[in-house]
Amino acid sequence: MKHLALLCLCAAALASNTCRPANKTSGQLTVGVAFETLQTEYWVAGFDAIKAELANRNIIALEAIADSDANRQLQQVQNFVTLGVDGIILVPKDANTSIPAIRAANRAGIPIVLFNRVAERTGVDFVGVQADNFALAKGTVEFMIEQARKTGTPHKALVVLGDLGDLNAIGRRDGFEAAIENHQDIIEVVARVPSEWNQEKAQAGVVNALQAHPDISFLFTSSDFLLPSIVTALKASGKFHRIGEPGHVILGGFDGDATAWSLMQDGYLDATGVQDVYFEAKASVDALIDSVEGRDVPELIRDPGFVIHQGNMHELADRMWGAVISRK
Amino acid sequence: MTAKAIELQEIDKRFFGVPVLRKVSLSVFCGETLGLAGENGAGKSTLMNILGGNLQPDSGSLLLAGQPYRPRSPHDAAKAGIAFIHQELNLFSNLSIAENLFLTDFPTRAGIIDRRVLRRRTGELLDQAGLNLSPETPVHRLSSGQRQLVEIAKALSLDPKVILFDEPTTSLTQREKEHLFSLVARLQSRGLTLIYISHVLADLTRLCHRVAVLRDGQVAGCGPMKDFSHDRLITLMVGRSLEVQFPPPTSAPAPEPILEARDLTRRGKISGVSFCLRRGEILGIAGLMGSGRTELARLLFGLDPLTGGSIHLEGRPVQHLSPRQRIARGLAFLTEDRREDGLCLDASITENISLVAAASYTRRPLGWLRLDSLRLAVAMIRERVQLTSTARDSQPVRTLSGGNQQKAVLAKWLLARPRVLLLDEPTRGIDVGAKHEIYTLIRQLSAAGAGILIISSEIEELTGLCDRILVLASGCLHDEIPKAAFDPERILRSAMAGAAASTPSSALP
Amino acid sequence: MRILRRIVASEYLVLFLCLAWFAALAPVAPGLATPRNLANILAALLPLLVVATGQTIVLITGGIDLSVASVIALASVAGSALVTGAGGPLAGSPLAVPAGILTMLAVGAGVGLLNGTCVAALRMPPFMVTLATMMFFSGLAIWSTQSRSIHHLPPGLLLAGGNVWISAAVALTVALAVHLVLRRTLLGRWIHAAGQNPKAALVSGVPLQRTLILAYLLCGLAAGVAALLITGRLETGSPVHWRSQLLDIIGAVVIGGTSLYGGRGAVAWTAGGVLFLTLIDNSLNLLSLSHFTIMMVKGSVILFAAYLDTWRSRLIAAA
Repeated sequence: MKHLALLCLCAAALASNTCRPANKTSGQLTVGVAFETLQTEYWVAGFDAIKAELANRNIIALEAIADSDANRQLQQVQNFVTLGVDGIILVPKDANTSIPAIRAANRAGIPIVLFNRVAERTGVDFVGVQADNFALAKGTVEFMIEQARKTGTPHKALVVLGDLGDLNAIGRRDGFEAAIENHQDIIEVVARVPSEWNQEKAQAGVVNALQAHPDISFLFTSSDFLLPSIVTALKASGKFHRIGEPGHVILGGFDGDATAWSLMQDGYLDATGVQDVYFEAKASVDALIDSVEGRDVPELIRDPGFVIHQGNMHELADRMWGAVISRK
Repeated sequence: MTAKAIELQEIDKRFFGVPVLRKVSLSVFCGETLGLAGENGAGKSTLMNILGGNLQPDSGSLLLAGQPYRPRSPHDAAKAGIAFIHQELNLFSNLSIAENLFLTDFPTRAGIIDRRVLRRRTGELLDQAGLNLSPETPVHRLSSGQRQLVEIAKALSLDPKVILFDEPTTSLTQREKEHLFSLVARLQSRGLTLIYISHVLADLTRLCHRVAVLRDGQVAGCGPMKDFSHDRLITLMVGRSLEVQFPPPTSAPAPEPILEARDLTRRGKISGVSFCLRRGEILGIAGLMGSGRTELARLLFGLDPLTGGSIHLEGRPVQHLSPRQRIARGLAFLTEDRREDGLCLDASITENISLVAAASYTRRPLGWLRLDSLRLAVAMIRERVQLTSTARDSQPVRTLSGGNQQKAVLAKWLLARPRVLLLDEPTRGIDVGAKHEIYTLIRQLSAAGAGILIISSEIEELTGLCDRILVLASGCLHDEIPKAAFDPERILRSAMAGAAASTPSSALP
Repeated sequence: MRILRRIVASEYLVLFLCLAWFAALAPVAPGLATPRNLANILAALLPLLVVATGQTIVLITGGIDLSVASVIALASVAGSALVTGAGGPLAGSPLAVPAGILTMLAVGAGVGLLNGTCVAALRMPPFMVTLATMMFFSGLAIWSTQSRSIHHLPPGLLLAGGNVWISAAVALTVALAVHLVLRRTLLGRWIHAAGQNPKAALVSGVPLQRTLILAYLLCGLAAGVAALLITGRLETGSPVHWRSQLLDIIGAVVIGGTSLYGGRGAVAWTAGGVLFLTLIDNSLNLLSLSHFTIMMVKGSVILFAAYLDTWRSRLIAAA
């Protein structure tokens, strides 16, 4: 009997140590938060921001991380449905694979918000909260061009692209191209490096481009998490200089992570387009509550984000997630 | 006799609910050699395994030099001064002699193996065991007999007070056996206590001071060796007197050949062997270890490729066929080592017996087994080979005694109704009763017209059963002896002369 | 105490473990025992059951097939690419659905045949062969799709995986078929013998090469069927489907009681192992533990099950 008893005991101990989310007090809401991955700082910051937002409003949060597995994500959402949550916040794996999961929530009549990534609207219902990739990238690059004009000389430019299967990456690329279009007189794009959101690929691509075009002096990356690779490549070519020093490459990014914050403080990074994680978290939770309480919610909530640069960095630091986490 | 070295008191042991030892009480005196006789399955090995720490008794107690002794592992037994020479050889063939001897206890200096000390101590032990070999020799280069002596050297390295021998001569040739016996005599003269298990009664008579006979897990008799004649030992072992060991032939071989080998050659193993086996004939193959006996059988069965020659089965050439196709033509091969390639030890009796013949108990095209008729056929064949009726069909063959395992292998082949049987050591390591039953079966098969080829290292077995004996030495046919001229001495001389003439290196140190 | 011994010694120990786990967690894991959740468990375990059933065959022969997860991915993208509404060559054709299904099965059988041929005819170690094919075909799946998922699949193709009852029928058919092959056919006897003692099997006239090739082929075929179910369930052909599930597959088979050393195994045992792993996953998810906590608890529970198994062996030996 000893072994069976031990088994039951373990199970019971395990269970009693965890929260018991379904036993909610009257009126208290429960929200399931399902993320695809927590492998980059950005997702961790988003996850923490949502949990903080839910805690502020006395809403119980249930967590699930799919570890990049679509099948697991589907099971996790189904479990939320089983548990009878009042709403679900989901970071889908990609635009299509998560449709069965969204449909499961739709069928159960549970409102679902897609955080930062949206899915295709093929017969499923959801609220998308997403940064305006195009506008924010365009704004960032336009600020960089302003800096370029101040130097009075023409510049050769390099852009690091993301995974073009990702709608976010496409939006950022289009924003970059739109910004450049009217300034062909001083900006000539000589290299477009595909990174597929992979640091090694980005590094190799940038090194090659710098060898082919040693006079590159303008560089925009579609995500800040590629910055360490880019800095390495710049250092290797002797082109890593502070703003104001001779030979400085005008450097711009997107996301607003901790690396970007430290490069900005050290005076290497000119500007980055910050996704306003705190806005997105708040908007997601607002949208859920509105849906639960029967108010109309738009299909897509855009996070305008903001461009942070040497001139405004101290005023805006509190809203830049990368700065917030590096101060912790 | 003086003090008791070992005392067993009412030892009980059961496997799978079957009692193997029942209230066994036995004493071994200091400095004596106790022989342990009994049929396979009588419990001898189990008893030794209990003494050697491999098994724990269910009840009863052990005393070692008067002190309670409860080994939980072979390591405990070794520390208490008991060494166990196993029936199966337990050496690592990829390691050298020295490494095998000190595997668990390398002499080290500052944590590094001290090769010099290792070599010296190995040399001393090999001297004691009477082996004139370099400590660096890899074990895979040694013959079975040499390996057995290395095992003994390994046992001596622990400086034991008691040594247990479990069938040490099964895989040895006559000369290796002599060598082993002189070593045993030296150990006796050093005052060591020995327990010696063997099926060979003559060996027991020669080596032991006292003998104990086990039957069905109980002590059937015990006393000074001189009080036990072979007849009396056998009577005690089987509980009945086996007067005729070899059943007489009931019919003569037919003239027509059923299996013909012409000029069989496999480079380095067999050269130019030709013979002819007739319907209803029992043909013996004699030869020393390494003479190519087993290789010849493997060639005939198609397990190894020929480099020359032809084989005709019932007049049709089969040398290009796979074993599977030869089985379909009526050939069967009972291999030398039933554990290695005769049985699936963890599979049930039914699964083992039906493995060969299952193909003919199927419905096409899916190969659906006709389980009912297969079960019936297995039941009938079990009865025919007299497999112990206490074992269930679903019982793993691992749990059977050696004799019953061999009967299961035989049943497997008989179920396929073969017309030619190649039997390689059909009675190795099995008890007297089972041996007799297998001989009777062989006789019945030959009377029914099957051709039978028997390979055996027991010359008495060949002379008792065969119509004709071929002597193989160094891969060549060295002699053919008709029944009228059977003479054990001639056979042995012929086999040894052939071996000595062609490859002097195969002689033992 | 005697009942407990009987339970532990039973072939179906893992089913008792499932019951114990379920009974222990039902009061504390919210929603565990609801019909909706039981349906979720069923839907989640079906593809695993199919692929683990195939793996059981290979494990009984004493081999292992590490490539099954990449076969699922490759079969899924190959079948999907052929019929996707977004540019598949057979898009809109009435043959699209059968062609897509057949492609998935053919990819599974093809990789199985390759594995089997390497293991049986070229006598390469199964671990190395299937490790290599796992890497190769996983790479092929990702490279050929540029790591993008394939969508807009015809509803007919998604039916088998999308509808839980059809999935259940498919999975049970596969499991029953493999069960019958192993228990009631000559091939089943040969598969067992190959794992129990290949030397004895060869001497006894078992066509070892053919048996091994068929074992790997059936295993690959089962992975192809699993690909069909998974593609339908997720409405996506993806080159990374089930990439991290390989150890669940082999773990389920081994927890069920099939020996990693060959010769011993049964589909019914595997079904128990599949249920056990799925139940653990599901119940821990319902407790809202993080993915990493779930992995740790799962590891401990599997270790405990392995301990029970050795305890059982001793118990059986002593009985």
